[in-house]
Amino acid sequence: MSKILRVNMTDLKATYEDVPEKYKPMGGRWLTSAITCDEVPPTCHPLGPNNKVVFAPGIVTGTAAPTSSRVSVGGKSPLTGTIKETNAGTGWSQSVARLGIKAIVVEGQPKEKGKFWLLHITKDGAKFIPADEYVGKGLYEVYPKLFDRFGKKADIMGIGVAGEYQMAMAGVCFNDHEGKRPSRYAGRGGIGAVLGSKGLKFIVVDSTGLPAATPIADEALFDQGRKKLTEALRTHAVTKPKGALNTYGTAVLINIMNEAGGLPTRNFSSGTFEGAAKIAGEAIFEGNKQRLGKELYNHACSPGCIIQCSNTWYKPDGSEHVSCQEYESVWAFGANCGIDSLDVTGELIRLCNDYGLDTIEAGGTIAVAMEAGLAKFGDGQKAIELMHEIGKGTPLGRILGNGAAVTGKVFGVVRVPGVKGQNMPAYEPRAVKGIGVTYATTTMGADHTAGYTIAPEILSVGGKLDALAVEGKAKVSRDLQAATAFVDSTGHCLFIAFAILDIAEGFEGMVEECNGVLGTNWSGEDVNKIGLDILRMERKFNEAAGFTKAHDRPPEFMRYEPLPPHNTVYDVPDEVLDSVWEF
Amino acid sequence: MIEIHLYGKLRRFARDQDPTGISVVHAPVQEGDTIREVLERLGVPMEEVGSNVFLNWQYSALTRKVKDGDRLAVFPDDMQLLYKWYFPKVGRDVEDDRG
Repeated sequence: MSKILRVNMTDLKATYEDVPEKYKPMGGRWLTSAITCDEVPPTCHPLGPNNKVVFAPGIVTGTAAPTSSRVSVGGKSPLTGTIKETNAGTGWSQSVARLGIKAIVVEGQPKEKGKFWLLHITKDGAKFIPADEYVGKGLYEVYPKLFDRFGKKADIMGIGVAGEYQMAMAGVCFNDHEGKRPSRYAGRGGIGAVLGSKGLKFIVVDSTGLPAATPIADEALFDQGRKKLTEALRTHAVTKPKGALNTYGTAVLINIMNEAGGLPTRNFSSGTFEGAAKIAGEAIFEGNKQRLGKELYNHACSPGCIIQCSNTWYKPDGSEHVSCQEYESVWAFGANCGIDSLDVTGELIRLCNDYGLDTIEAGGTIAVAMEAGLAKFGDGQKAIELMHEIGKGTPLGRILGNGAAVTGKVFGVVRVPGVKGQNMPAYEPRAVKGIGVTYATTTMGADHTAGYTIAPEILSVGGKLDALAVEGKAKVSRDLQAATAFVDSTGHCLFIAFAILDIAEGFEGMVEECNGVLGTNWSGEDVNKIGLDILRMERKFNEAAGFTKAHDRPPEFMRYEPLPPHNTVYDVPDEVLDSVWEF
Repeated sequence: MIEIHLYGKLRRFARDQDPTGISVVHAPVQEGDTIREVLERLGVPMEEVGSNVFLNWQYSALTRKVKDGDRLAVFPDDMQLLYKWYFPKVGRDVEDDRG
C-alpha cells in the first residue's frame, strides 16, 4: 500500500518504489537514518552529488493518534559532517502519509546549475515545476503566492534564500496549521543547504481526494493505545489543557532556567540574565494582552495536537509580528545576545523564518559575532543588520550564515559553545550536567532533543566515581537517548515524553498505537532495542565519516572557565562520556 | 532577611506584580525555618506551588532550611516544565520518598 517516492534531481524524475521488507515497520528518524546509512557514503561532500535528503512522516502520522504530525528530515549535515535528523511539526507530514508515501528520497543534482524546482505531489502523481519566479525572495512573500496557486488544502515544504546560498545553517521550512505561515522549521544541521545544492526549493503536497486516514492493521488495539496516550497527555501537569505548555508555551522556561542559574547569557559567559523576565513566557502573554486588549492562549502547530503550545507575538498596533517565540529562539536572540526586548527577538525570529534559517544556530552565531566585536551585546538594531547581511548573501553574510563555529574561526573567538560544529541550545552544561552528556555524546552534535538525560549527580553512588556508578549513569543516559529516538520515529511530538516517562499507561499507549498501525507485537523492551539500534546505526555512520570519541567532548573552555552564579566548570569525566557508547 | 522571587499567579504576594519584572518579597527568617514554613507564613496556598523551587540557584525540596541572606525563587503549579531529572534536588520532599 505505501511507497517510497524517489526524486532524482539530475534526471528530473520522480518514481514510486515498493518499500523493502526491512523498512516496513520504520518511520520518522528510524527510517531517515536507515536510508541515509544505506544510501549515503559517510565520507561524501554534504553539498555534492552523493548526499541525499530523506523526508519521513512517523509510524502513526496520518492516523487519529494525538499530537503525531511530525516529520523527520535526514541526510549528512553540512554543518556537522555527521548524520543528521531534524524534525518539525506540520500538517505537511499528515498529507504525505495520506498520499501513501512512507519516505521521499531526494538525490542527484540538476544538470543546469543554479536552477531551482518545485515538486507538486497529489493523488495523480508527482510533477516538476520551475521555481525561478520564487528564487531570491522572502518566504513570507512566497508562501501566500504558493497557497493561492495550489490551494489552501496544500501543505508546503520550502527552503529560503539561505538554502539557495547553501549556507550551513539553512533550515527546512514547513507551513503551520491555521495561518499557513512559513514558520515550522526542521531547523538544525543545515539540511536546507543540501536541498539547495540539489536545486529543490519546494515540495507542495495535497492529499485531497484520498482517504482521510492511513490504513491500520488492528483498529481495536490502535484505539486502545490512542485513548491511553490521550489520557496521559490530558492529565500531566506539563501537557494538559491549561498546563504549563498550553498557557505559557515553552518560553516559560526562560524564568525557570534563569533561577536555576543555567540560562546561557552573552555567549555562554553567565548562567543568569538580568533581563530574563522581560522576554519570558509570562511577558509574552502579558504583552499580547496589552496590545490586543484580551488574553491570548496558545495554539496547535499542526492538526491533531492536543498539547497546543505555540504562540503568536503582536506589535504595539495590534497587528501580527511573528509566530512563534519559542524558548530556544527567544533565548538564542535574547539572553544569549544580551537582548531584553521581545520586539527585537520577534523581528530576528521573523527574519530567520523569512530567510530560511535555524534560529538556534543563528542566535548562537550573532552572539559569537558580538563576542568578536561586530556588535555590542544587547544591540538589537545591529543584530538585525547582521541578519540582513545573511539574507543578502554578502561575504560577511556568508561567514555568519555558515554558523557559530565558522564565524568564531574567522574572527578568532575561542568561546564557541558547540559540539561537532553545531552550537548549543538553551541549557548551560556547567549548570545542567546531564544535558552536557547529551550534547557531547549524541550522534547529532550539540542537540537538546536527542535525548533527555539524568543529571550525573543524581546517579552518583556515595559521591565517588566508581566503575558501577559510571556504568549506571551511562546506561540511563543511553536508554533515554534510545527512548527519544523511538518517539522521534513514531511521528509524535517529543513533548509527549514529559507525560509518558511519568505515566506508564501513556508509554504503553504509544507502543499499542504502533502495534495497532503496523500489526507488530512490540513490548517496552523492544522499544529500547529499536532505539538502541537507531543510535548504533547512526554512530556507525559517524565513525565511517571520521568521528572518534575525541569528538564526544564538551568545548574545552567549559572545562576551565567557571560559570556564574554556580561558579562551576564542566567536570563530568571523559570516561563517563565514553561509557555512554560502550554497549 | 531572605529575598523571595515569585512568578506567575504567585506574584500577587509581592508589592510589584508586573509579569515582565521582578516580584520580590523580603521576609525575615529564623534559625531552622524551612522553605515550606516561609511560604506558609507569607500566606501562599501550598497547592499552588509547583516543583520548580530554587534556593540560591539550586533545585530544592520544600523541606530545605533557609538562612539569612538567601535567595528563594518559587514557580506555581502551572509553570512546571523542567524535565524533572535535569538537576539533583537538594533535600527530599515526602513525594520523593513515596517514589
